[in-house]
Amino acid sequence: MTTKKALIIGVSGQDGSYLAKLLLEKGYKVTGASRDAMLSSFSNLSHLGILGEVELHSVSLNDFRSVLQVLKKCQPDEVYNLAGQSSVGLSFEMPVETFESISVGVLNLLEAIRFLEKPTRIYNASSSECFGNTEGHPATESTPFRPRSPYAVAKSAAFWQVANHREAYGMHACSGLLFNHESPLRPDRFVTRKIVKTACRIAAGKVKKLRLGNLSVLRDWGWAPEYVEAMWLMLQQDDADDYIIATGQTYSLQEFVAEAFNRLGMDWHDHVEHNPDLIRPTDIQLSLANPAKAERQLGWKAHHAMRDVVRIMIEEELAAQQ
Amino acid sequence: MKKKALITGVTGQDGAYLAEFLLAKGYEVHGLKRRTSLFNTDRIDHLYQDPHEEDKKFFLHHGDLTDSSSLIHIMEKVQPDELYNLAAQSHVAVSFEEPEYTANSDALGTLRLLEAIRILGLNKKTRFYQASTSELFGLVQETPQKETTPFYPRSPYACAKLYSYWITINYREAYDMYACNGILFNHESPLRGETFVTRKITRALARIKLQLQDCLYLGNLNARRDWGHAKDYVEMQWLMLQQDAPQDFVIASGEQHSVRDFVDMAAVELGIQVKWQGKGIEEKGYNEAGKCIVAVDPRYFRPTEVETLLGDPSLAKEKLGWTPKITFKEMVEEMVREDLKAAERDELVKRHGYTVYDYNE
Repeated sequence: MTTKKALIIGVSGQDGSYLAKLLLEKGYKVTGASRDAMLSSFSNLSHLGILGEVELHSVSLNDFRSVLQVLKKCQPDEVYNLAGQSSVGLSFEMPVETFESISVGVLNLLEAIRFLEKPTRIYNASSSECFGNTEGHPATESTPFRPRSPYAVAKSAAFWQVANHREAYGMHACSGLLFNHESPLRPDRFVTRKIVKTACRIAAGKVKKLRLGNLSVLRDWGWAPEYVEAMWLMLQQDDADDYIIATGQTYSLQEFVAEAFNRLGMDWHDHVEHNPDLIRPTDIQLSLANPAKAERQLGWKAHHAMRDVVRIMIEEELAAQQ
Repeated sequence: MKKKALITGVTGQDGAYLAEFLLAKGYEVHGLKRRTSLFNTDRIDHLYQDPHEEDKKFFLHHGDLTDSSSLIHIMEKVQPDELYNLAAQSHVAVSFEEPEYTANSDALGTLRLLEAIRILGLNKKTRFYQASTSELFGLVQETPQKETTPFYPRSPYACAKLYSYWITINYREAYDMYACNGILFNHESPLRGETFVTRKITRALARIKLQLQDCLYLGNLNARRDWGHAKDYVEMQWLMLQQDAPQDFVIASGEQHSVRDFVDMAAVELGIQVKWQGKGIEEKGYNEAGKCIVAVDPRYFRPTEVETLLGDPSLAKEKLGWTPKITFKEMVEEMVREDLKAAERDELVKRHGYTVYDYNE
């Protein structure tokens, strides 16, 4: 069997790095792309010990030439698009950049693949944010979108662009509607990492307070290394389709915080301060998922829920801080 | 005090009707137009006022939805009470050929306007109308389509418009702006662009009648649409900005016809009885003399078709008092009449030895 080739765009991020690791383990030749491959430290790839095994290129999805060039060079069987401005909070500050990196980006990628007329399969990272408030009913793949941030609106447009290229041109193109998925590779600006990191520093006596916005929001938190497996599975199916990837269990941010402080033998009430500046202009209150289709069709199921995620993140954080 | 309105896409069908409507209401009307190497102001020629005139009410500004700074400059200068975003790459078929440009103008263009309002601190002053579209329903999830029907866009045009729909709602909710979407079903008129199917039909049949053209080539004859008259629809755009609270509305006639029906009705207006023969791409329409005047050309098929659209305008009826004044038949008659006039003019000019452009696509 010939070696399969995969191209991961956005390889420097959390998901890109875990996916690179998974695909290397499966025997793929993995090429990674990032906006500036010379400047990026790829600390996540280093952290996973695979920096030397991934061929790296500079690609900006907004630039059609750069997309075409990397596709021609690597001739990938599978393309994973994990690039894009990924913070909901930041999208209110940078709405244009958010749209350009997410929506124009995926359009360029789809068009470049179409132009090259190769049977390249493509996975696009969609998001649970597309659903907005799920209002009591867990979201399925047929739940209408109700996006609540410039990030979510851009991801919704990208979702439909992928669906349209699949239907219009018969491309094997899939969107993964991934609910929140965390790991020690999450950057500090994401709330889960911020909680874990700060709680560990409080436990070590280095800082006193953790400042957070709205604690009542409800989310479905999963374990990122498991989620990248679902991405790969989607591209191994005969027919391209879209899937929700989630644990199916929803907790409040307060429960996440309490679990983290508990694990460190502390009471969160003593250390958490409310900071209204961190509240978003519009936010999702409730995010509920029904991942039954992924289990039925991909045989994929989450094995880690919120408490496992907190436990592993804390273990790694403590090891790193020592 | 006199209200000020700014219309993007003022040189288009809706822009022209809306400008005329707002001027009649006593508004000071400002229009945004793109720089083009050919004149593109035919539709608003009758509204134009010389810059040297006193008490001028209609102003044009050069600008472009793909250029943030031009939008901010014009918004700063005009400080409009109402902003109507009618500008777009509005052709579904062209969006498959120019998807990125469509996203830039139709999706990001809207965001740039909303940002201009915010940046200039006009959140409380400027009311914003976004021209949304029945194309959002695409592969329809229920019939008829209303405000709560889930979207299923089927073209790069519809995907870009989906972004604009939701970003308008997001800015309304996040920044407390008076911003709303009109989900307008197809609306036509003699001012419709010549490459849109209705106008293409009336123009071609008029020219065929006068022997300026041989045959009309169309794509999907079975496509069914809900067609109304643009003149009625722009009034709803204005009404949506006059409510106590912003809300999104479906505007439609509630009546559906196929492209083939449209051809038949337009032909009858010209005294032509079209006789259809054949199926699928072999289907042809013949005149009484047995000459083929309508044929299918698969080039006009779209990679993903929207087969049927039918709107339910109940909410607009109830809350805006929506009652369209112009019937489908009257609209077709008017379009045929105007295109026949233009064809007669061309024929006259040609007969006297002057050049007439065919303006093929």
